[in-house]
Amino acid sequence: MLVTGIKSKPVYAPLQADIGGRYHLMVGLGVGGDPLLRVIGEMRAAAPRALENTRVLYVPDPAPALTLAHFKSAGAADVRTYGGAAALLEDFSALLHRSLMGTRLYVAGPESFIGLTMKIALEFNLNKDEIRAEECGTLARRVYCVHCRATTEEVRTNIVRCVGCERWLLVRDHYSRRLAAYMGVMADAEVPGELPPLKEVFL
Amino acid sequence: MTPLIKHFTLAPPGGGNLPAFSGGSHIIVVMRGAGRVHRNPYSLLSAPRELERYEIGVRRMEESRGGSHFMHDTVRVGTRLEIAHPVNLFGLDKIARKHVLIAGGIGITPCLAHLEDLHAGTVPYELHYSVRSPEHAAFLERLQRLAGDLLRLYYDSEGQALDAGTLLTTQPLGTHVYVCGPAGMIKHVIATAKSAGWPDSHIHWEQFSAPPAGDAFEAFLARSKLRVHVPPDRSLLESIEAAGVEVPYLCRGGVCGFCRTRVLELDGELIHNDHFLSDADKARGQSIMPCVSRARCTSLVLDL
Repeated sequence: MLVTGIKSKPVYAPLQADIGGRYHLMVGLGVGGDPLLRVIGEMRAAAPRALENTRVLYVPDPAPALTLAHFKSAGAADVRTYGGAAALLEDFSALLHRSLMGTRLYVAGPESFIGLTMKIALEFNLNKDEIRAEECGTLARRVYCVHCRATTEEVRTNIVRCVGCERWLLVRDHYSRRLAAYMGVMADAEVPGELPPLKEVFL
Repeated sequence: MTPLIKHFTLAPPGGGNLPAFSGGSHIIVVMRGAGRVHRNPYSLLSAPRELERYEIGVRRMEESRGGSHFMHDTVRVGTRLEIAHPVNLFGLDKIARKHVLIAGGIGITPCLAHLEDLHAGTVPYELHYSVRSPEHAAFLERLQRLAGDLLRLYYDSEGQALDAGTLLTTQPLGTHVYVCGPAGMIKHVIATAKSAGWPDSHIHWEQFSAPPAGDAFEAFLARSKLRVHVPPDRSLLESIEAAGVEVPYLCRGGVCGFCRTRVLELDGELIHNDHFLSDADKARGQSIMPCVSRARCTSLVLDL
């Protein structure tokens, strides 16, 4: 079973301001605030007018996180903060409904947060050249059980008990953008009870 | 159809169905005229689900190299024509949330086939069609039947013009724009879209260039060991074919990139007329698209 070296595993890159865009929508969680601040700084230097069309959605949790004041003093006028990812994503989706062509999306935070954001962006047909994402924070994964279709959250180990069917799942690098999750397949299907040693690998 | 556009219906001589195609596809029509062969790309305008026949529209080009004049003057009902399998370089994005189609003149032809698909679907769209004057508005009845209120017409003769700036700054996220028409129109729409922040992946265009004429030159085909003379009014690709060497192609209009050929040696300069190679590739001079591009040189050696 191929576990690593799978092409669908997303590749991220440090965020960069794309001043070719007309509107800039920035979405971040926890330590993801730092890359967003960096992009705001780049924008202020290269095209200060772009900040007038910039909106930031941010969850100041978990620590270390930024505050509203950090963004304001960097030059971002339109900043909204949320108590958690779910509230942010709900507002994000509503915003995309009203957004126009010419919008660039910047996402920063843990991969699971990036994935959930991208999943919504995909529904709005945002393509690679409209989205930039920088991974920071925990590597914990969302794992989709290919047997019972339940998704187990915050997986840090190489194998995990499925929250749906309680099978032991082997966590593969095979990633679904549509589901925003890595695929988990029964780890002891060949020889029942024979499992690889449990290891913390996604920290 | 109009003073410049003729409408042709092509059916297989033995009856039956032609190969399936999708909206935006074109075919190559092979025209065996006196002394030379023309192979021109034409968009299919008929409904993709009706395969007993293909329909194309041909505009008479003022400075025709012979292809459009052949279609207008020589082809009659019953004439046998040889065509190549349909190829699509101008398809609709399958997951777009909205389509904006912009056509100028004969550029309406691929849009007609698109409308047949859009008409049956649920994705919102609009069509903007510019022509010189009412008498030049080809396929108007069909367009009105398919698109109804979603069709916006602009007559140059009445000073009407598409406001691309307003159009492209007011589209919802996930919209794709498709433009087909004169070079100036395509350039304007692309530039306007980009300045409105549209990314490349949402901008689609198609323009088949007729191979421009130029000075005669010679090319040497290294693998075939053949010297090919390219006269002023014949393309490099046509000249290579006339020498009996086959080059793979799909569009013959500088769009698809299929006929890209390696340049092994050059003493002079390449005249790139294609829309495929990047500016950097063109400057590097290591490739040429023989369908539309030429050379001004004392020696050109190709990897053929």
